[in-house]
Amino acid sequence: MEIHIELLLGTKVCDVDGEDVGRIEEFHVQRDESSCRVDAYLIGASAVIERLSAWTLVRPVKKLLHSRNLLTVYEVPWQDMDLSDPQHPRLRIAKRDLRHIK
Amino acid sequence: MKKVLQITLGIITSVGGFLEIGSVTTAAQAGASFGYQLLWAVLLGTLCLIFLVEMSGRLAAVSKHTIVDATRERFGFPFYAVVMLGMVLVAFMVLVAELGGIGLSLQILTGLGFPWWAIPVSFLVWLLMWKGTFRLIENGASLLGLVTLSFVVAAVKLHPEWGSAAHGLLPTMPGDQKAKYGFVAVSILGASISPYLIYFYSSGAIEDKWDESYIPMNRMIAGFGMTFGGFLSMAVLVAAALALQPKGIDIDKFDQAALLMTTALPKWGFYLFAFSMLVACFGAALEISLAIAYFFAQGFGWNWGEDLEPSKDSRFSFVYTIIIFLAAVPLLFGVDPIKVTMISMALTAATLPLTIVPFLFLMNDPIYLGEHRNGWVSNSVVAIIILISFVLAAISIPLQIIGG
Amino acid sequence: MKLIRDVLDKKLIDLEQCDMGRVSGLVMYVGERSQPHISHILIGGSTLWMRVHPALARVSNRLAQLWGPKHKGAVRIPWTRVKSVGRDIKLDVEARETGALAWEIWIARHIIERIPGGGKEEVE
Repeated sequence: MEIHIELLLGTKVCDVDGEDVGRIEEFHVQRDESSCRVDAYLIGASAVIERLSAWTLVRPVKKLLHSRNLLTVYEVPWQDMDLSDPQHPRLRIAKRDLRHIK
Repeated sequence: MKKVLQITLGIITSVGGFLEIGSVTTAAQAGASFGYQLLWAVLLGTLCLIFLVEMSGRLAAVSKHTIVDATRERFGFPFYAVVMLGMVLVAFMVLVAELGGIGLSLQILTGLGFPWWAIPVSFLVWLLMWKGTFRLIENGASLLGLVTLSFVVAAVKLHPEWGSAAHGLLPTMPGDQKAKYGFVAVSILGASISPYLIYFYSSGAIEDKWDESYIPMNRMIAGFGMTFGGFLSMAVLVAAALALQPKGIDIDKFDQAALLMTTALPKWGFYLFAFSMLVACFGAALEISLAIAYFFAQGFGWNWGEDLEPSKDSRFSFVYTIIIFLAAVPLLFGVDPIKVTMISMALTAATLPLTIVPFLFLMNDPIYLGEHRNGWVSNSVVAIIILISFVLAAISIPLQIIGG
Repeated sequence: MKLIRDVLDKKLIDLEQCDMGRVSGLVMYVGERSQPHISHILIGGSTLWMRVHPALARVSNRLAQLWGPKHKGAVRIPWTRVKSVGRDIKLDVEARETGALAWEIWIARHIIERIPGGGKEEVE
């Protein structure tokens, strides 16, 4: 099945229990000479900071506010994402089992 | 030496930004209505522009990407499309006003109404872009733009009280006409901090093939160039304060502004005013047309460059051709360029945040700028300018309605 | 590598250092059990407008049917033709052969070259 990345961007994702997780904001990929494989999907508004390369702006603010969880980004490995319905992506696991990054 | 001569990019940018129909009209109105009280608005606009222009030049020199390139790449197409809509609409209106300004200058010189000049003037602007190179436009407009120094001569000849003028550099509230004061202040800032200036300068840095070695020169060019323009704008305000305010003349017609020159220079003032405005509006028309074409070409990833033959960057050439001739149409029907100017100044102020907010992110991007990213001083200045832009955006349209 | 930050909307440069547009979209192939991979880069067409609103994409398609080059849809470049990903994306193709410059060539030949001083679009 072919999916357009630019249309998947910003789509809401639910977990296996139907709980809202966030929106897909970025894709981690591994590139070699002939292919580009999707390793993981980044979910959460703060993943937009990745896109804007804005960590140099945001980190000092985060430090100042002494907050670890102010900005939540979930990294979902490709195996845990069900894209059979691209307009309504679902996780194959529960939200509580997701990995926070940053 | 070659780098020093690049100062012409700074001069044409500022002449096109500060000494065009909008800035002259608003500065003259400010002087005629409020004396020296609004000099602070010109100073504030100049300072903001120095920082924004320096940043856009630095981004271009280091990353070889313009502000438009970087905005599309970092913020994505939907955001770019919104900025494009706002910027192109407002810039188009300003272009109509500038072509009208050239027409009005020719009208006061020849007596022939400005609608008759719409097509010849548009054709001339288009021809220069079609056949000319970026260097020719840059240097030609800058050299001719020096005639606008006549505004400074006029201001000095009217013997201003420098002490009172210096007081005007600090914000004060007027006794009455507060709404009009606010409207004129917003118009001055909208006329000074014009987004097309920033897009033009950043593209010009690429056209002139700047690299990292131009960073110190870029600071000087941005500083000197914008100061030159701000200084000229202040001269217009001072001359209007001395020539028009004592007579109670309010500027609502273009030829009334000529009085600020003829009072000081009775013999040559009339011709100097007309020629100065003609040259300044011509430079601005070139700059805006190029800025709009650059915006489309860079955003969509087309070939672009004023030095290329039109067929080698056909979409870029097509855009400026269409824009210039479309801008002549309202003038053919006698639409008043001064009215268009006043509306476009308010709309520029209302859409400023779209241009300024991306700066905060782009100028801190390590991929584009590496070690040349903004320091805390520049970031603080951008944050203040963003705040100013949101305030202007909120109040510009209500003030246009109440005080315009 | 991050797809949205490093690839989407980036400028594409061909073998001859010619600008050939920007990455409007990316096609990801999702198999039943295999790891998804990026199969194609999309350039132009209604791909861009679809990102803003489907109605704009329909308008874009309708307008493209009225005038312009024969090849009007998005250009698909296989990911295997990507040479490097940096500030720009360098491709192992010639822009003219991909159809990415179809509009540029059409406007040059039908409009620009007909105006005196417009020059000739083709390289001699």
